Amino acid sequence: MIIEIGEFTRVEGNGKAEIIIEDGEVKDVRLKIVEGPRFFELLTLGRHYYDVPDLEARICAICYLAHSVASVMGIERAFGVEVPEEIQLLRELGLIGEFLESHALHLYLLVAPDVFGYPDAIRMASKHGELVKEGIALKAFGNRLRELIGGREIGGINVKPGGFGRYQTTEELETIEEESGALLRLAKRAVRLFASLEPYGERAEHFVATNGYLWGERLIAEDKEPFHYTERIEEHSLVYSFAKQSCYNGESFLVGSLARLLLKSDQLTPEAKRLFKEHEDKLSTGYVSYNNLAQAIELVYSLERAGEIAKILLDRGISGENVPVEPREGEGIGYVEAPRGVLIHHYRTDSKGRIVHSNIITPTALNHAMIEESLLKEARVLYGEADEEEMIGRLEETVRAFDPCISCSVHIVKL
Amino acid sequence: MMGKLKLGVFELTDCGGCALNVLFLYERLFDLLEYYEIGEFHMASSLQDGGHYDVALVTGTVSTHRDLEVLREARNRSDYLIALGTCATHGSVQGSVEMPIKEKLKAIYGDEGNPMRAMDSKPVVEYVAVDLAIPGCPYDKEELYQALMNIAKGIDPVRPDYPVCVECKLNEYECVLVKKGLPCLGPITLGGCNAVCIKSGLGCIGCRGPLPGEVNPASEYEILKSKGYDDEYIMKKFKTFARWKP
Repeated sequence: MIIEIGEFTRVEGNGKAEIIIEDGEVKDVRLKIVEGPRFFELLTLGRHYYDVPDLEARICAICYLAHSVASVMGIERAFGVEVPEEIQLLRELGLIGEFLESHALHLYLLVAPDVFGYPDAIRMASKHGELVKEGIALKAFGNRLRELIGGREIGGINVKPGGFGRYQTTEELETIEEESGALLRLAKRAVRLFASLEPYGERAEHFVATNGYLWGERLIAEDKEPFHYTERIEEHSLVYSFAKQSCYNGESFLVGSLARLLLKSDQLTPEAKRLFKEHEDKLSTGYVSYNNLAQAIELVYSLERAGEIAKILLDRGISGENVPVEPREGEGIGYVEAPRGVLIHHYRTDSKGRIVHSNIITPTALNHAMIEESLLKEARVLYGEADEEEMIGRLEETVRAFDPCISCSVHIVKL
Repeated sequence: MMGKLKLGVFELTDCGGCALNVLFLYERLFDLLEYYEIGEFHMASSLQDGGHYDVALVTGTVSTHRDLEVLREARNRSDYLIALGTCATHGSVQGSVEMPIKEKLKAIYGDEGNPMRAMDSKPVVEYVAVDLAIPGCPYDKEELYQALMNIAKGIDPVRPDYPVCVECKLNEYECVLVKKGLPCLGPITLGGCNAVCIKSGLGCIGCRGPLPGEVNPASEYEILKSKGYDDEYIMKKFKTFARWKP
């Protein structure tokens, strides 16, 4: 017998799952990504580097800036270009905006309805209007940062190899500094709400993140030894899904907020670090559902860090100068933390600066095996205990905790 | 007041941005909800009404048989269907990979291919009649808001019919094509985005598709050539979001 979970709701993109029952027991689970493939690696082949980040921004709307920045970094590394701290800080500010926009969307509009028992945030708003408004305020602020740095709320083009099309003004940075401080109170409230939830799903054994908080030169795992993805991560195709599955040394692993906090808590801002310490006992159990709590703590981190960055840039002033980019034959990998985890853009370029090889691995593809394991664990707990409707509802919550981004999980090229 | 209109949001294969952009209306989404009730919107709600819709928004390209089924359902069950965003109106970036689907699948999934069936990505408008097409990658939120408000009030939505350059001039931006020599498709691209890319000091990427009517892609082609861009570059640029024929 197969219990089918129809297309997941309150996640981005189209996916579903099958629970396979044999002899009265849950035998297996298949996570099926049914969203059509979009062939981004093929799309970028032969393209001039200048246009590539704008194309890659179209992979995913929720984390377009992570794609733009990963793409720009891959290209810059292939050309041996290094950008100064000013440009790095501005990119970081954009990625922080993306964390705020994405985490707030996920926590307040997609997960909170489960907590309060509603089908969606619109219907939740009649009784919990304040909470929905707080979520929207955080999300809107995050989007303003994305628009400021990326040029648009979605699919922006302002992030370029070597710098930006337009630089930000003093007035814009002053508003960021002021508003990030004012919103901090809301984020702390979110931490309290999500810390109160009981754990569910599987416990992750392995965690992977970039070595810096928002990006890195390499990846790290529990042993903190920096490595390239090709050294420890393997991808394989599945017969039932457009998304591939990845393994870390042959086993499933977790990327995303929980992985970042557990591997990089020493890099957090003061209040976020304090909150991490306060909830460390829970978080370190590795239950994937604590990804929700980890995201709430990252809301605090993001607001603190946005204020810090704005202050640094205001104190020293923005020069607004791009670094010259000279195309050459080369190879580069951009490792960036998208809100839902590690994102990898790997390119090889020819002497004219055209892309001749492209490989993109998205966080949802990295989490794919872990999502299946989590569903299996939860289905075994629930089967026979809950009726089918309740079971399906709970399983959807398990999937939602990963904050999967299905539309961006389907562009993976073979290694 | 009469009952609210019923709205359905249907997502085919895309980046999710056009559906997400509806949520990014923020408080104005609540203004829309004075006139509309949402019956289906799977990114935002677990409800699936399954009934008849006064207005259906369809985002994304048809890239699988599942997409085609969803699209036909949406068309059959709605009075007014809006193809929303450049995937739905022109095919957008995934529609520009020119290779038979079998070869594409083989290139991505390896020699054995992937047994799941996919189709060459095509816009919604190639499969069903649409009542309104709002392009943009993503579309301008204001345009959708105004269109939905107009429909609710029984007014035919306004359709822009001028190039991006008009809005660029109105904003008094510097012409990046002439002054900086940057590749800009503004002269041949349908306006309505408020020249958002030129605001960043960069060229229009053509995400709203070709301006219908008196557009002159041949002249744009010559200008880009005179700025030093080669044929291959220009052709790829023209074909990224929609299939221009210079």
